[in-house]
Amino acid sequence: MINFTHFPVIAVMGLFLCAFLVEIFGAKNKYIRNTIALVAAFGAFALIAALIKPVFVDGNVISYWMGNWTPVGGYAIGIGYEIDALNLFFALLVVTTVLLSGIYSVKYMERDHHLGHYYTLYLMLSGSVLGLVLTGDIFNMFVMIEIMTFASVALTAFRNNKLGALEGAFKYLIIGSVGSSLTLSGIALLYAQCHTLNMSQLSAALATGLSPTTILAFALMFAGFGVKSYIVPFHAPAADAYMAAPTSVSMLFSGMVNKAGVYGMIRLTYVIFRAMDLSSVQLLLVTLGTVTMFIGVTMALAQHNFKRLLAFHSISQIGYVITAIGLGTALGLSSGIFHAMNHTLFKGLLFLTAGAVLYATGTCDLDRLGGLSKRMPKTTICFLIGAFSISGLPPFNGFASKWMIYQSTFAKATETGNFGYAFATIVALVVSVMTLASFIKVTQAVFFGQLPENLKEVREVPLLMRIPMWIMSALCILSGVFYNFVAKYLLTPATNAAFNVTNYIDKMMGEGYAAANGITETAIGFSPLDLWNPVLWLILFAIVLISVCIVILTGEKERGRTLVKTDADPEDGKYATFFGGEASTHSHVGGSDLFWGFKHDFKGYFKFIQGMHSGVVNDYALWVVVATALITVFMFIFVR
Amino acid sequence: MEIITTIFTNAFYVLVFPGLLFVAIVGLLLAGIDRKVLARMQKRVGPPLIQPFYDFFKLMGKETIIPHAANRRVFLAAPVVGFVSLVVMMLFIPIFGFSPLSTNADLIILLYLLTIPAVALIVGGSASGSPYAGIGISREMVTMMAYELPLVIVLLTVARKVGGSTLCFSLSEISLFQQAEGSLITNWSLIPAAIAMLLVIPAEVGTQPFDVAEAETEICEGPLVEYSGAPLAIFKLNTAIKMFIMTALFTVLFFGGIDTGFIALNALVLVAICAVLTVICMTLIHAICARLKIEHLFKFYWTVVTVLAAISLILVWLGL
Amino acid sequence: MITVNYIVSVFLIVLGLYTVCTKKNLIKIVLGLGIIDYGVNLLIVSIGWNDGGTAPIFTVTDLLNGVSSKFFVDPVPQALTLTSIVIGACVTAMALSLVIMVYRKYKTLNADEVRRLRG
Repeated sequence: MINFTHFPVIAVMGLFLCAFLVEIFGAKNKYIRNTIALVAAFGAFALIAALIKPVFVDGNVISYWMGNWTPVGGYAIGIGYEIDALNLFFALLVVTTVLLSGIYSVKYMERDHHLGHYYTLYLMLSGSVLGLVLTGDIFNMFVMIEIMTFASVALTAFRNNKLGALEGAFKYLIIGSVGSSLTLSGIALLYAQCHTLNMSQLSAALATGLSPTTILAFALMFAGFGVKSYIVPFHAPAADAYMAAPTSVSMLFSGMVNKAGVYGMIRLTYVIFRAMDLSSVQLLLVTLGTVTMFIGVTMALAQHNFKRLLAFHSISQIGYVITAIGLGTALGLSSGIFHAMNHTLFKGLLFLTAGAVLYATGTCDLDRLGGLSKRMPKTTICFLIGAFSISGLPPFNGFASKWMIYQSTFAKATETGNFGYAFATIVALVVSVMTLASFIKVTQAVFFGQLPENLKEVREVPLLMRIPMWIMSALCILSGVFYNFVAKYLLTPATNAAFNVTNYIDKMMGEGYAAANGITETAIGFSPLDLWNPVLWLILFAIVLISVCIVILTGEKERGRTLVKTDADPEDGKYATFFGGEASTHSHVGGSDLFWGFKHDFKGYFKFIQGMHSGVVNDYALWVVVATALITVFMFIFVR
Repeated sequence: MEIITTIFTNAFYVLVFPGLLFVAIVGLLLAGIDRKVLARMQKRVGPPLIQPFYDFFKLMGKETIIPHAANRRVFLAAPVVGFVSLVVMMLFIPIFGFSPLSTNADLIILLYLLTIPAVALIVGGSASGSPYAGIGISREMVTMMAYELPLVIVLLTVARKVGGSTLCFSLSEISLFQQAEGSLITNWSLIPAAIAMLLVIPAEVGTQPFDVAEAETEICEGPLVEYSGAPLAIFKLNTAIKMFIMTALFTVLFFGGIDTGFIALNALVLVAICAVLTVICMTLIHAICARLKIEHLFKFYWTVVTVLAAISLILVWLGL
Repeated sequence: MITVNYIVSVFLIVLGLYTVCTKKNLIKIVLGLGIIDYGVNLLIVSIGWNDGGTAPIFTVTDLLNGVSSKFFVDPVPQALTLTSIVIGACVTAMALSLVIMVYRKYKTLNADEVRRLRG
C-alpha cells in the first residue's frame, strides 16, 4: 500500500526545486535544461494522476500537515494541504497544461535566449498554481498567488523586444498586486475574527453567522479572486498579458492561472463562507458572469491580433464558468467546472495553433495572414477542432458543457421564477453564436482565403509542437463524445466534494469538529443527468458520412475522372479564382473587413467599449477600485 | 440476431425514412413547389414541379473544378458535413410522435445542429479562397447572428410553455403535450412567437429577401462562387432540405397535436403542412420583397422579430 | 490606543489606491503599490496586538509550569507581516525594473503614453 498523503506536497516541491536546478545545471546545455523541465512536469503529472484512484474513485480526502503540525485543541496553526475531489480536479487541469506546454516549449522557445530563466519562471509558475489549488491554508494560498503573479509578470515580459510585452507585464503587475493586496486585507480581517488561517477551521468558525468584519473580508477576497480570474471589470490586463507573453505561456495563463482564480472563487463561496444558498451572492456571481461573457466576446469580435482575440475569448469563457458556478445548484457547479476543464483544453489548443502560426510566419496580425491552410494543413485541422469546440458545435466538448450551462441556468430560472436567469440563458446562447462568428473571422483571415506573397515559403511546424496539439484535439473530441464518463468519474465527485463541507472540515480537523460547530451539510448525492447519448449519435454521423463519401468518390471514378487536377496548368483560367472577368490578383478578405454589417449596427456600443479599454493603467486600476467598492456596498446591503 | 435487426432498423432510419432519401425527396419537392408557386405569383408559367431533381442530377454529372487557391479537403468536405448534419437533424424531429432519435435535449441539439450547415457553407466558402466568398461568408455569419437570438427565445418560450415549472427541451414530449392539450398555435400567447419563427425560417434557409449571403446579382452567389459539379449539387440539396427541416420544426413546435394513427399518413400530413408553410413564409415574402442590406437585416431581426419572440416569452412566463 | 492603527492603515490603503488610480507617473504608481502594502502590513500587525501582552517567547521553566497564565501578543500576524513585507519588496523591485525597461523603450514615464495595447 502506497502512502498517498505525501504525493501532493512532493509534486509542488518538485516543481519548485527543479525550477532552480534548471538554472544551476541547465543554463548552458539545452538537453539538460529540457530534460530537467520535462522530468519535473511529468513527475508532477504522474504524482497528481496517481491520486485519481484514492480521491475520485475511493472518495477519500487526503490531508497533510507540513512538519506534522497537526491541530492542537481544535486550533490549526500549521500549514495543511487538503486534497478533496474539487482540488484534485483543478490540480489535474494544472498538471496537464504544464506537461503539454512543456513539450511545446521545447521547440517553440528554441530561438530565444536565456532559456534557463524561462524554465525557472515556467516551473515556478506551475508550482505556485499547483500549490494554490492544493493548499488548505488561506495565507499559503496568498503566498502562492503572489509567486504566481511574479512568475506571470516575468514571463509576460520575457520577450521584451516584442510590442507591448513590457507594457502588458507592467499593467498585469499593478492590477495583480492591487488584487493581491485586497485578498491579503480580507485574509487579515478573517484572521482577526476567527484566529485561524486554515480553510476548514475558518469554515467551521464562520458557521455562527457573518459579522460586519467578515462581510467586509468576504467582499475584499471576492474582489481579489475576481482579479485573479479576470472577470469583468478586472479583465483588462489579462488581455494585454495573454497577447504579449510567449504562446506557451499564454496557454498556461488561460489554461491554469485563471482557473486558479475560479478555484479560489469556488472555495471561497462554497466552502469557506458557504454563501451559495444566499440568493444575493448567486445574483452577484451570475450578473458578473453574464456581463463578462458578453463584453469578452464583443471585444474579441473587434480584435485584429490572433492572440489578443483568443485572450478576450478566455475572458468570455470564464464568464460562462462564473455564471454556472454562481447558480449555487449541483448541476450549475458541475457544468461550471466542466466548462472550466473544456476551456483549458480548447483554449490551450487554440493558443498552441496561434503559437504555431506565430512560429511559422512571425506574425499574429490577422490582417497580414491568409491562406495558411495550404501550407500548414495539420495546424489548420487542429485549429478547426478547437474553434468548433469553443463555439459549442456537437459533438465536441464545448457543446456538452454549454448545454449543461443552458440547462442549469434555465432550470434555475424556472425554479426561482426569476426572469433574470432566463435572460442569462439567452445571453449565453447568443454569446455562443458570436464566439462562432469571431472564429469564422480567424478561420477566414488566417487559414483560408488567399496566401500573401511573403508567406509562400511557410512550412508546417515541427512534430514536437504538433504532438501537444494532437493530444489536446483528441481530448476535446473524447471529452465531448464520452461526456457521460467525464460526468460520472470527474464532475460528480468534484461537485459532491464542494457541497460536502462537513466531510472537508472533519477530515482536516478531526471527526465531529464540523458538527460541534453546527455545520450539518453532508454529501448531497448529486448524480449527473442522462442528457443524451452521444455515442449512438456519433455512430449515426459516421455511417452517413462514410456512405456519402463513398457515393461521391466512387461516382467520380467510374466516369474516369479525378476530382482534382493537381498538375493542372497554373495559367489555365479554369482553375483560377473568379474575379468577375478581371485579371487574377491577390485579393484577400481580411479579418477586420468581416462583420461590418454587424459592427455597423452596434457602432455606438463598439466605440464606447473600445474607448473603455483605453490602455492607461490608471483607468484599469480605477475599474478595480470602483468594482471592489460596489461589491463591498452590495455585500453590506444584501448579504445577511 | 437482435443486433442485426437493430443495425438494419437504424440503417433504415438513417438512409431511407425519415433520413436521407425521405428528406432529399421532400426537400427537393418543396423547392419545386416554391419555384412553381413563385412563378405563378409573377404570372409566369414556371418550371415543372420536379425541376430541382433535374437540376440536382445535372449538377451531379458535371465536372468538379477546384481552384488553385482552395484548400481541397475542406472545400470538398464542407457540403457533405452540412448534408449529414441535416439528415441527422431530421432524425430528431418527430413526425407526430414517431422519432427515431429522441433525447431530453432535442431543442438545444437542434439549435446547434442547425448552425452546422451554415458553418459548413461558411467554411467551404472560406476554403475556396475567393474574395466574393469572403464577403459572402461574412454576410452569412451576420445573418446567423441575426436570426439566432429570436430563434433561441422562441425555443425557450415553447420549452417553458410545455415544461411549466420544469422546462422541457424534448421534442417528443412537446409533441405528446400538444396531442393532449391541443396544438400550441391555438394558444394566443404563443402567436407572436409563431410569427417570429415564421420570419426566422426564410433567413435560416436563405431565400429572398434574406439571401444577402448569396446575393447572386452583386457578389455572384457568395460562398458558392467557386463551387461546381457534385459539391454544388449537395449545397443546393442542403438548401432544399433546410426548407423542409425548418418548416417541419415549426410544425412540431406549433402544430404538434395532429395524429392520424398511421406513420405514412402522418408523414403526408407533415409534408402538406410544410408545403403550405413554405408558400407562406418563403414564396410569398420572396414575391413581394426586394433583398435587404445586411445591416438592415440584422437590425430587423434584433428589433422586430426579437420583440415579437420576447413578448411571447414574457406572456408565457407570466402564465398566460 | 489601538484604534489609531486601524484608522491609519485604512487611510494608507485608500491613499495608495488613490495614488495608483490618479498619478500618471509610473514610478508614483509603483510607490502607490508600496503604500497599499504598508497599510495592509500595519493592519495585520495591529490585529495581533494584545494590550499589555508580552512577547511570545518562553523559557523552559515557563513551559514546564504551563504557559497558559502568561498573556502574550499573537505571533502569527507578525510572521504574516514578515512574509508580506518580503513580497511587497519583491513587487516594488520587479515593478521598478519594469519601469526602467519601459522607459528605455517608450522614452517616457507618463502612463497616458504607455498605451500601445488598447481597444
